[in-house]
Parts: sequence; C-alpha cells; structure tokens
Amino acid sequence: MFMNLESVQKSYQTGDVSTPVLKGVAMGLEQGEIGVILGPSGSGKSTLLNIIGGLDRADAGKVTIGGIEVTGISDAQLTEYRRDCIGFVFQFYNLIPNLTVGENVEVVSNISKSPLKIDEVLKAVGMLEKKSRFPKELSGGEQQRVSIARAVVKNPQLLLCDEPTGALDFNTSRDILKLLQQINKEYGTTILMITHNTAISAMANRIFKVRDGEIVESTVNESVMPAERIEW
Amino acid sequence: MVIHKRITRTMLDNKAQYLGSLVLILISCLLYTMFNQLSVNMDHITSSFETQYVQEDASFVTDKALTNIPELESKFGVVIDKGGVFDYAVSTDQSLRIFAENDKVNLYALIEGRALSGGDILLDPAYAKAHHIKVGDSIRVEGKDFTVSGFMSLPNYIYPLKKESDLLNDPDHFGIAVIGKDDFAAFHRGSSFYSVKVQGDPDSADSILAELKNELKSQNTVILKWINIDENPRVTAVTAKMANMNKVGAALPVTILLLTCILTGIVIWRMLKKEAVMIGTLYAQGYRMREIMNHYLRYPFVIAVIGGMIGTLLGALTLKPMLGFMVAYFNMPIDSVRFSIAHLAVSLLLPLLFLLISGTFIVRRALGHSPIELMRGGGQSRKIGFLERRLSLNKLKFSTKFKIREQLRSMPRSLFLLFGVALATMLLLLGFTMKSSMDFLLKDTYEDAYKYQYEYVFNSLQQGHPASGEPFSMSPFTETANGQKSFIVYGVRPDTKSISLADKAGSPLRFDQVIVTKPLADRLNIKQNDTIGIISKLDSGRYSIKVDRIADSYIGEYIFMPLTAFNEMLGYPQNSYLGVWSMDKLHFAEDQLLSSSSASDAKAAFASVTQPIQAMLGIISLMSFVIGLIVIYVVTSLIIEENKENISLMKVLGYKKKEVFSLILNSSTYIVILGFIIGVPLLLASMQAMFQSVADSTSFVLPVKINYAYLGLGFVIIILIYELSKAFSKKKINRISMIEALKSRAE
Repeated sequence: MFMNLESVQKSYQTGDVSTPVLKGVAMGLEQGEIGVILGPSGSGKSTLLNIIGGLDRADAGKVTIGGIEVTGISDAQLTEYRRDCIGFVFQFYNLIPNLTVGENVEVVSNISKSPLKIDEVLKAVGMLEKKSRFPKELSGGEQQRVSIARAVVKNPQLLLCDEPTGALDFNTSRDILKLLQQINKEYGTTILMITHNTAISAMANRIFKVRDGEIVESTVNESVMPAERIEW
Repeated sequence: MVIHKRITRTMLDNKAQYLGSLVLILISCLLYTMFNQLSVNMDHITSSFETQYVQEDASFVTDKALTNIPELESKFGVVIDKGGVFDYAVSTDQSLRIFAENDKVNLYALIEGRALSGGDILLDPAYAKAHHIKVGDSIRVEGKDFTVSGFMSLPNYIYPLKKESDLLNDPDHFGIAVIGKDDFAAFHRGSSFYSVKVQGDPDSADSILAELKNELKSQNTVILKWINIDENPRVTAVTAKMANMNKVGAALPVTILLLTCILTGIVIWRMLKKEAVMIGTLYAQGYRMREIMNHYLRYPFVIAVIGGMIGTLLGALTLKPMLGFMVAYFNMPIDSVRFSIAHLAVSLLLPLLFLLISGTFIVRRALGHSPIELMRGGGQSRKIGFLERRLSLNKLKFSTKFKIREQLRSMPRSLFLLFGVALATMLLLLGFTMKSSMDFLLKDTYEDAYKYQYEYVFNSLQQGHPASGEPFSMSPFTETANGQKSFIVYGVRPDTKSISLADKAGSPLRFDQVIVTKPLADRLNIKQNDTIGIISKLDSGRYSIKVDRIADSYIGEYIFMPLTAFNEMLGYPQNSYLGVWSMDKLHFAEDQLLSSSSASDAKAAFASVTQPIQAMLGIISLMSFVIGLIVIYVVTSLIIEENKENISLMKVLGYKKKEVFSLILNSSTYIVILGFIIGVPLLLASMQAMFQSVADSTSFVLPVKINYAYLGLGFVIIILIYELSKAFSKKKINRISMIEALKSRAE
C-alpha cells in the first residue's frame, strides 16, 4: 500500500483529563487512488488528516506514506516530508492576501525540488487568465482553484484535502471535485479528502467512515463515478 | 523568494506603523551621527588649535614687570610671552578687549582675511558678525582708525567670556581683537600679563609651573593672578559643553531606538498574530521555520536599513552647518571636516542590531506554535489578564470600563504609549526647563545674592579706605586634599551690603564668619564646622580655614571671610584691599585696574544668549512633537485595527459615529496623561544628574527648575498632539464597513 496506517492512536490532554481522539485507526490507500474520509464533526477525521500530513504526531501506531515511516521521524524530517511529498488544500483556502494568484502558487514552487510549471498548473485549474489578480478579487470557487494549484504545483505524492468544498455552493463544489479528479488522472496524484458530504464518496476508490475516533466502515468503491454526475 | 514580495505591499498597506518606525530610526540615527561626528570634529579642532597655535599652560599677572624672561625660560624649559591688553569701551554697554600680538604663546589663528600689518586689527568673528563688521571695514579705537584685516581666534579665548566668572559669552556687548605690537605700544595704556607654555612632557607641567612660582616669589615678585589653562573657563567651557553633548549624543538616540524596538516589536507581533493562519499554511506546505523567520525579520531589517541610511546621511549633512554653529560660540578655526568611519558604521549598524534582536525575540515566540495551532488562529491567548481580572470595574460607566479594558488588554501597547508620551514630554519640557533654570539662576545670583552693580579689581594691593564703594580682596586657592581645581577666597567687610547669602533654610548669613558656597562645598565635600587646608595659587603658601556656614548659592566656587581675617591670613597689611564693589560707576586710572565689570554686562549677556536657546528649544520641541505624534497615532491605529470587528458591531448595533469615536479613540487618554505626569519628574531627575555631572568643569550648580506656566504649556501641547492624531484616525474608523468585519468574524 502507498499509504498505510496501523493502530494509530491520539489523545489530547486538557489539564488532568485525557480525551482520546483516535483509537487505533487502521487504513490504507494505493498509489493513484482517491480516498474519502466521511464522518461527523468531532469524529477525529481532521486529526487523522493532520497526522498523515505530518502536521501532528500520533501517540502510538504506525503511519507509512510512500515508504516513509512518518511516525518515527524528527521534526526537521517531518518538515522535509511535507515539503517534498504532501500537498494541502484547506476549506478556507488560506491564500496569502497580498500576493497575486501566480505568486501564491510560486510560494510553493519556490521550495519544491521538481515543481510543475506554474502556468501549466494554473491552466489546469482554469486560473491562468487571472494569474495577476489578488485573492480578494476572486470568488470563493476561484480561490479554491488557486489553493489546489498551489498544492499541486510541487507535484506531491499525496494531496490532502480538508473539506475542500465546505465553503462553496453546489455548482462551484462540483467544479472543484471535477478538478481534483482531473488532477488525479492527469498527474497520477493520490488524493485523500475529508468531508461531511456522503455524496462525494461516489467519486472515491476507497471510503472510510469515521465515528468517535474509529474507522467504523472501510469500503472499496468498484464503480467510481465522474464528479460531474454527483448530486446532493 | 516570492513570498518576500509581500514586504513592500504589507508596508504600503500599513504605512502609518512602518513609517512611524522608520521616522523614529531616522531621527535616532540623525542625532547619533550629528552629535558624535560633531564631537569627533570638535575634539580634533580643539586639539589641533591648541598645538598649532601654542596654547598657554598658564597665564599670570605680577606686581612688577619680569626682567629676566630668557633666564626663566632656559632654567625651567618654558616659553614665556609678555602680553598686553586693555578694554576699549566702544559705547557705554559695549567693550572690545584689545590684545597685542604675541610671538611665542597664544598665537592668533587667522580664520578669514590677511595677517596683521601696521594699522590693522583682527576681530573675533562672533563680535564682527554681531556688529555687521566685514573684512576691509574700518573701526576706530581710542581715536585711531584701524582696518579690519580679518577675523581670528585666540587659543586662550576659545569661548570669549568677559569675566572668568561669567557663564555665557555675549558678542553683542563684548568682543576680542588683536593689533600689532607697535600699534599697541603707541596707545601707552593697558596692563601686562604673562602666558607660559611648558616645553617637553605635559605631565610635568604642574610641577614646573609650581617651581616657576616659587622662583618668582624668591625674587620678591608678587603674583597677583594665576590661572592654569585647565581652570580657564574661556577654554574649559568647550570641554564642559562637549561632555554634555556626548552624553546627549549617546543617551537620546539609544532611547529613541528603544522606543522604535518596542514599536516595531508591537507591529510585528500584531502582524504575526494576524497572519497566524498563513504561517500555519506555509508550515503545512513544507516551509522551514528559518525560512519563515527570515521572511518576518526582513520587515525590521528593511526599516532599520532605510531609516539608518537616511538618518545617517542627514546626520552627516548637518555636520557642516552644526560645526559652523559651534564655532560661532567657540571661536576656533576649522581646518578640515572629517568623518569618523567608526561612528558612521555604528549609526548604520545600531538600529539593525537593536531591531533584529527584538525582532528575533518576537518572531521566535510567535513561531513556536505548531502548524495546527497557528492555522486555528495562532495559539492566541484568550486568557483574561491578571490585572483585568482583578480590577473591579462594575461600578464604572460602560464607556469607562471599555476604555480601561482596552488599555489593559494589550500591555505592551499601553507601555509603548506611556514610554513614548513620557519621552515626548521630556524632550518638549527640556528646553523650557533649561530656560526656567537659567532664569532662576540669574535672578538668584545677580539680583538676590550679588547686590553690587560694578566690580573693580586693582593690579596691586591698595591701602586705607576707598573714596567710595566697598573694599574687598580676593585670591585663588586650591584645597590641599583635593588637588588641582582652584576656587576664590574673598575677604569682605562683615557689614557688607554688596553680597547677601542665605543658608538652606533661607536665613540670611552674617559675614563675620567663614562662608562656603554650595557648589564648592559639594565639590570638596565640606560640611559646616569642618576645617580645610588650602594652598595659595599665587605663592603656594599653605593655610587652614574653619568653615562656619554653607551658603545655598548656585553659582561660583567661593569662600567668603572677613577682610581683616583674610589680610591677616595672607600677611597683607591690615587695611589693604584688592578691589572695590560699588552701586555706582567709579573712575580709576586705567593702569591701576586689572579688570572692571558690571552686573548689567552679565544680564545683557544672558539676554542675548537666550535667543539661541530659544532656537534650540524650537528644534527640540518640533522633534518631540513628531515623536509624540508618531507614537500616539500608531497606537491609535493599532487600537482601531485590533477593534475592527468591535467597531463594525457597534455600527451594526446603532452606535453613532461620535459614540464610536469616543469609545475607541479616547481609550488612551488616561495613558497620555499618565505619560505626561511620569515625564516631568523623569526629566527633572535626568537634568539634575546631567547638570551635576558637568558641575566639576563649570564651577556652578545649575538648579533644575520648571516654571508652572511652561508646565501648563507643555501639557497643552501634548494634549494637542493627542487630539491631532485622533483627528487623523477618524477617517480610519469611518472606513470600516459593517459587512466586511462581520464576514471576517464568520470565517
């Protein structure tokens, strides 16, 4: 498996009280697949994504991504791991307001070992025309496209998307999902997405349902649906 | 890195904050460069002047002419030049001290024009300027016309004081001039004095001069007056003023830099808090801490480099005019202007060092959070501060509570405002305090303590009773225990009407006892009833005096004792005296007098000197105005920025513009008033320390006083600055839209 999690545990300490968030999660994803983690608020899906992305550490268990055992490496190595292997897409885009669209993408291509061409990626996400605009001059959907371009430009092995359509309307959301599927096909990027929206799972190869810190259901989707056909 | 493109854009978006820091650094570097380069140049000018033009080591007056100068010169390894001098009264309140040209010691330095030849006169440039005299003009001295062939400086008259006890020179009423020896001799008037320069090791000068004095004594020559160069106020005034300038040159820029560090620190901290999500995102994308740190440190770096460069350049540009200003007071020739590379480097590097250290501290603290914490809002402390929690504000009005909480919520911001207003107050009141102190000194000294109008000092001891006026005697001494620096012992009549001194409690002192003035008592650490050993500067005789009372006078290092006791101590005839004090102008033969002066000279000097003080006061006040405005404006914009959402909400809730202005803009009023209140004693204490530290070289203790009217004016100006910055900020509040701020709250 390209991505493999074994018995991953995580709890947060508040004073004397320890709150378990992940209780022995095990899951896997093959290279080039799209995975979707479904679950209600507070189920632990963001924590799971953060651990996979090297933003947080598991208390126990093993996380291996593309042959790298993320759980056993130092902080500096974790930074290198994020720098070289992981792309992030956030619900609220997190673009740098006083950099243009092109510059926002350049922020990541700057630190990548073998980045894709900025214009090529912007063209792929349909934002090449607006390369010189500032984020506040764009709609939400357009900002998310830029955010995807920024994540993709480094040609990451794994693209992690945290509620990428959470702040968008239906049509824009569907456009974004189409874009993610297109990137998955075009660049062979493995994508792991977390969402509330069960409809989105139709476009995934694997679906993981999380509840109360545990994977309660793990399904392999044999009939992946093109994003444009998804309805909710 | 592309991310650095943000720097200019961010700075342009928040002009006030960054421009504020930049201007503060600029002022600081300008002051540092100006004061320190000036000090280097003045040091150089002084020392090369002293060497090139053979500054005397001492000058003295004897009761009879020295006939064996060549023998004395070869015996003691000294050069002695006999000088001639007289004061020519140009008008009733204006006199010109005419010197005969010297050939060996105290040579004149030509500043402009040509050297002396027969019928020529050289003037000091300040006097010439004050009386609009140009090179080539003709002036009349004692009925004879002289051509002004140029302007000059004398190494023993760098600061041309009329009397050694004067504090300030006054070119409007007094000047010096040099004429050729033959021209001088043709007048058949004036008195002689000797200037002596020790050749060889300067360290042995004191012992050689002491031996010379003994030799003169052994030849039955009475030394009437002796002044070593390091006690000559016409030379030491430069040292005292330079010492003061060096202190200001070191303290003021560093204080302003500290203020800038706090300001920049607050601005960066605020930016980091605001950009926490972005920083978290950069972390998540794989940015390293040092890359992010490098980015954020560029802000203080850019400000420090630009501010430092412009400030240093402006400081360097001010050097020439400032040197011109200084040599208008201290009459010396400028041979060349030099720049100290070390000071230029410090001026450029100091703000960098200060800002990068404080910046690193703040950025490291802010970046210490994990990427997730940062993306959730930067690990912002949502805790209520200790003070805010403890203060019971329940009984106060809502608006008062709001304003107090606003200040307590950001302590660094409030401290910055407090510190900034205190500094602006100090600078603003500095000039006023100087003026108040000088006014007090003048009144206390010339009007209350020294009642006589005219002082005449003879060039030999007089016997019997003067036809009019009150007799007195005087002689310079040093203390046996405290070395070099001399003071004057006066013999006065016990019933003197010319001097009135009081003790600390304000009770008048009788003159049938030994009285020591406060500046001397402080320097020698003398208390009432102490007995001190003193050595005559004229004949090296040793005496002891019991001090009966200390006079609470600010000027002059003097000991007063009854005239009979004075004569008895020095072995002078019983009814002898050396001078006369009088309320009216008296007439004595000129060859009888060593010097004469009037109280009105001192007052006139004071009046003309307050003008440049007022000009300086204007510059310093302008600077304090700028600093005050920057500090208050930046803090007000920070408050607005931090309260954007609250302001928007107030608007949504139906608050009127006026009410919003009052709540947000008036929240700093308490701090501004507190800053002013703190600034006043801080200024008085620092000026007291500054005056005390230069008291040794100036022989007077300047009392630190501030007039209530000036205090009131200072307060009005500070409040005016506050109101002005509030007026500037109103636009910012008006620009905040209800929708925008609420949208940001939703995210």
